[in-house]
Amino acid sequence: MRDLTLSGDPDEALVARVGRGDHAAVQTLVARKLPRMLQLAQRMLNDAAEAEDVAQEVFVRAWKQAPNWKPGGARFDTWLHRVALNLCYDRLRRRREQTMAEPPEQVDTGPAPDRGLLARDTGVRVTAALGALPDRQREAVVLCHYQDLGNIEAASLMGVSVEALESLLSRGRRALRAALADLRE
Amino acid sequence: MSAMDAQRFETLAEAHGGLITRWPAAEQDAAYAWLAEAPEAAQAVLSQALALDEALDVLRPPSPSTALRDAVLAAAPAPARPRTLARWLTGAGIGAALAAASAAGVVVGVQVAQAPTEASSEAAVAVAVEDDWILLPDGENQS
Repeated sequence: MRDLTLSGDPDEALVARVGRGDHAAVQTLVARKLPRMLQLAQRMLNDAAEAEDVAQEVFVRAWKQAPNWKPGGARFDTWLHRVALNLCYDRLRRRREQTMAEPPEQVDTGPAPDRGLLARDTGVRVTAALGALPDRQREAVVLCHYQDLGNIEAASLMGVSVEALESLLSRGRRALRAALADLRE
Repeated sequence: MSAMDAQRFETLAEAHGGLITRWPAAEQDAAYAWLAEAPEAAQAVLSQALALDEALDVLRPPSPSTALRDAVLAAAPAPARPRTLARWLTGAGIGAALAAASAAGVVVGVQVAQAPTEASSEAAVAVAVEDDWILLPDGENQS
């Protein structure tokens, strides 16, 4: 069972122990948050190696932050998400700059021996559909669906109103449904 | 409870998926009420949203590799070391040595002050120049 404190942050006591150099608390925090941060980065970047780099950097910053963490503001989990998202957007921006400098080769859309196989792989299809979403729609879907954040927390993280988040989610999910329509046939 | 109708129900399902438990907390009671009021239409909306949820859930959370976990742990703050008896004794020993040295210094200082020497009549003054100490005869000191 997680500690519940007056601030309502289930990680508050754990972070305080991490800040005091408690090794057991460090291991618990890693077990609790590393998979979440890795998933967030993986869904945002669609690149396993880059996602690992981001997750690792998030924790480098968390270790620095823990001794100075002041309860009562944002939840620690929300702060971790903010750091991870900033790192993801840095990488997405760099990718765009590189793409503009070096335009990608034309993708062959003709039939290929393994194309039918890939089409049957739902995971590949979903990954591709998520990757094709505009960044902000993907961020909204990732935060609410995969990271299971509430609408108020997700909207706050994204710096938008709850209504704007709802709009991003609707448009994102509509695009996903269209891209994956044949999977349900 | 917030107002709910078919359109709002559909909008919420489209944005938040087919599980009402994942919808905004402030609208869940109204959504359940609508589900009871118009079960057939509401269930159809939820089923369509659930189909997309299930497709998205095909992607399982990635498991961190051992190498990543080790790298993250390696960068963590060093474990706080418990204060053992040996460390306490070491600390106490250093303290005792410092106290003894301090006491010896006081004794020597008192003896020097009580024994005038020839050097004291020439009044050499020590001035600090960066890290070095220089002795200058009296009268050659400049500010």
